[in-house]
Amino acid sequence: MITLSQRREVGEFRKRYRWMALFVVLVFGGIIVRVAQVQLFQQDRWSGIAQQNITKTLELPATRGVIRDITGRVVASNRPSYDVYTTPRLLRPEDLDRIASLMALSKEEQAAFRARLDEIPLGRRSHQLELFSDIDREQLAALETHLAELPALDIVTVPLRHYPYATLGAHLIGYLNEVNAEDMKRADDPSVYRSGDRIGRNGLEKRYEPLLKGSRGFRRLVVDARGKALEGTRPDSLEVEMLKKPVPGHDIQLTIDMRLMEAFDRAFRPYPSGSAVVVDIHTGAVRALYSKPVYDPNEMSGGLSNKRYAELTGDPFRPLIDKTMYETYFPGSTFKAFTALAALEDAVVDPSQRVECLGSLKIGRQKFRCNKRHDWVDLYESVVQSCNVYFWALAEEVGLERINRYAEAFGFAEHTGIGVNSEAKGFLATREWYEEHYGRFRIGYTLNTAIGQGNTRVTVLQLALAYAAIANGGSLYAPQVVQNIRSPDGSLSETFQPRIRREVGVAPQHLDLMRRALIDVVQDESGTAYKARNKDGVAVAGKTGTAQVVSRKGRSEESSSAWYLDRSHGWFAGFAPAGDPQVAFAVLVEHGGSGGASAAPIATSVMQQYLTELESPEAQ
Amino acid sequence: MAIGRTIRDDFDWPLFIAVSTIALFGVLNLYSATEGGTTSDAYVQQLYWLILGFSVATLTVAIDYRHFERYGWLIYGGCVLALVLVFVLGRSVRGSTRWIALGGFSLQPSELMKIGLIIALAKYLHHDTKTGGRTLVDLIIPGLILALPMGLVLLQPDLGTAMVLAFIFASIMMLTQLKMRSVVTLLATFVVAAPVTWFYLLKDYQKERITAFWDRLGGTQTDLLDSGWHTHQSLVAIGSGGLTGKGFTQGTQTRFRFLPDQHTDFPFPVWAEEHGFLGAVLLISLYLFLVLWSLRIASQAKDRFGAVVAVGVGAMIFWQTVVNLGMVSGLLPVVGMTLPLFSYGGSSLLSTMLGLGLLMNVSMRRFLH
Repeated sequence: MITLSQRREVGEFRKRYRWMALFVVLVFGGIIVRVAQVQLFQQDRWSGIAQQNITKTLELPATRGVIRDITGRVVASNRPSYDVYTTPRLLRPEDLDRIASLMALSKEEQAAFRARLDEIPLGRRSHQLELFSDIDREQLAALETHLAELPALDIVTVPLRHYPYATLGAHLIGYLNEVNAEDMKRADDPSVYRSGDRIGRNGLEKRYEPLLKGSRGFRRLVVDARGKALEGTRPDSLEVEMLKKPVPGHDIQLTIDMRLMEAFDRAFRPYPSGSAVVVDIHTGAVRALYSKPVYDPNEMSGGLSNKRYAELTGDPFRPLIDKTMYETYFPGSTFKAFTALAALEDAVVDPSQRVECLGSLKIGRQKFRCNKRHDWVDLYESVVQSCNVYFWALAEEVGLERINRYAEAFGFAEHTGIGVNSEAKGFLATREWYEEHYGRFRIGYTLNTAIGQGNTRVTVLQLALAYAAIANGGSLYAPQVVQNIRSPDGSLSETFQPRIRREVGVAPQHLDLMRRALIDVVQDESGTAYKARNKDGVAVAGKTGTAQVVSRKGRSEESSSAWYLDRSHGWFAGFAPAGDPQVAFAVLVEHGGSGGASAAPIATSVMQQYLTELESPEAQ
Repeated sequence: MAIGRTIRDDFDWPLFIAVSTIALFGVLNLYSATEGGTTSDAYVQQLYWLILGFSVATLTVAIDYRHFERYGWLIYGGCVLALVLVFVLGRSVRGSTRWIALGGFSLQPSELMKIGLIIALAKYLHHDTKTGGRTLVDLIIPGLILALPMGLVLLQPDLGTAMVLAFIFASIMMLTQLKMRSVVTLLATFVVAAPVTWFYLLKDYQKERITAFWDRLGGTQTDLLDSGWHTHQSLVAIGSGGLTGKGFTQGTQTRFRFLPDQHTDFPFPVWAEEHGFLGAVLLISLYLFLVLWSLRIASQAKDRFGAVVAVGVGAMIFWQTVVNLGMVSGLLPVVGMTLPLFSYGGSSLLSTMLGLGLLMNVSMRRFLH
């Protein structure tokens, strides 16, 4: 053996061993540093992903609160909609074709569906996402049959909003549609809304969104890498909640009586557009808020096509406008009651003093026309017969300032405070306003104001509430549409007490005089609504009105409908039953012409039905 | 042979304990990784392989390593022949042919080739009396010794094993002095060879893994569903282990099958997830010890053959460990590479045990003259 020389050679390697050892230590050190980085400094991040990996979260949607009318009839509820959700991470390429064929997707739908899946960012691939909503029965059956082979899919039953009365009361009730980025930003808690959720867009659905909505829950499943749910397995390291039950929304009961709404809908059949409001004179509870025409909220929820939207906005009868509170009109002769009350209360005239009506009145160079020659009439008769000449004479005595003051007391030109949707304020023109807009003030403006023309504009709701104040002895109520709100467990969570905005400040005997005059408008042969009376039926009291329409010259409607749109609006506002008032109303027939011929028959026939044929709401 | 006399005095206990501990951890880890699955008896098989491995190692220790030197070329030739046989008798798994069926078992000749290469290089250097700086010309013969098996392995194709062969070769050659000029030439060759390899030799899936790796390093992680997915899930497993781990058989990444090849190429994440940073450091330290210990054995070897064998075995363990750990921790691209002693797999274990037997052999005969 030649070991000696070899030992020497081996010894020569010795320096290299040191370098090698150093290298080895450095490399292993590097690996330990890396492991420390991943395990000690990034632990939270990786643990989060590890938990996400083995859990699949199924959303449990909350049932939105149900809205009912005063008698318990459902006006907004939920029907099941079957939605398909997917966890993109678990989708295999071959699944896409399978899903497309089971769903019987068209070519375009297929392309859209694939494009959507491609867009999902990496970070969201483990999160569920809505793939299809409200699939039909055949699609549901096809998918359910093969669900076991498609672990990436889940079919979730989601309650979808449904409005059984369709258009009736739609402005008040509102509708839902999909949340947008702004809604999500606005919500206090960002988890409240998620893309694809629906939110109340209008009416009560919007006003009570937080209460109606409820809160969603979830169920977490432990799944393996293939997405297969592993029942009864729950690793200790999984520190997440597995189940959160959804909390349904609150239920709302309205003061509205849908039977009354239906009665109005029938009575309005001859006319394309109009509005009616009925309020309880003792509480301000609104029994009807009727506006015609209206969109169908079921249709609005689905998202409107541009064409349909153009149809709605282009309709000359404006279905998108709530005519009970968002549109204002000249009150016409219905306003005379307030002019008369102003005169009585401030004692500027003797109500028994008579004025001669020759059918018109000449003031300066202007000639004002009355509806007919009334001869000698006192205040009472001039209300019953709606004599303009008497009121012009009265107006000179009362003056614009007093008329406006009493009109304001009765709630005109201010928001009623109904609290749902936007309401118009209406308008009372002052002397200063006339001077500013017409150069100087003329007495003619006062005369016009006295008979409800001029520049006075009111909403149907305001008028109904003002007549309620006449009927109840002078209390102006805030209108209320919600009777109570119930928690999901059925207990009352909120009830609404009647709220008086103010006492109008008119003596009882004057209001009594006015009530008697309003009764005779219908009951007396000379009354302007005599023809509309319920023979042997419910006695209704009220004041007719015919409001001129601002000329629509220059508008581009076809001539066939233009003549109609230039016709005056017919009004009838009052209370019933005449002897023992319970409700006050205002009915407006757009372009209906004379109020006595259009609006009054609607009001009397609906009151007849409401107060006799329909059961009283309290009986429910 | 005089082994009976020295077994008590010269037995390398530290080496034996380190190896046994790693192997035992490996079996436990395998049990956890496969529990409840379709391969839940894998740990029993691994135990059989371990027993076989220790027997082979014992046999290797019993024979004076100078006999391996004597039959060096024969051993090398046998291994090369086995590699050739792969193409004749081989069984194809996932697009590459690496296995020969041998009775009830499958044998992976490329694993044995590592030992064959170490012995061949050791024999060559043992008889090469040159002590000064070497030039490229001096590398021709050792280069050919490497090139033959490496080419065969690349044809299978098995990039990982080919790399280990190359690394073993490079490490052994580092022992001998190389002239600066030669080093520069070698580097230049590599620079030229790399693109050629990329465009002509690598398969698409291999390129994909390397691309995914660079994407991840650059932070532009784009494709979690394919190549990057393995590393991602591996990091999730390691990272979620934290300091102390989720506990034995409690790793969720493991149990719910998020780790790919969790008992062959990815056993470390399983370990790290269940035993945390403390467990990970313990395991890594054992490997560090093993490699440093092999260098120590080399430095005390009584001849050049023993020294080279020790360095070769050390290099084999070192590079496989580093590449595997680098791969599972996202520092290196994903290439098929087992963690020696720890991974499931008979051939890998057998060749490792063979190597460790040689190491023990060299260690125990360091004082024999």
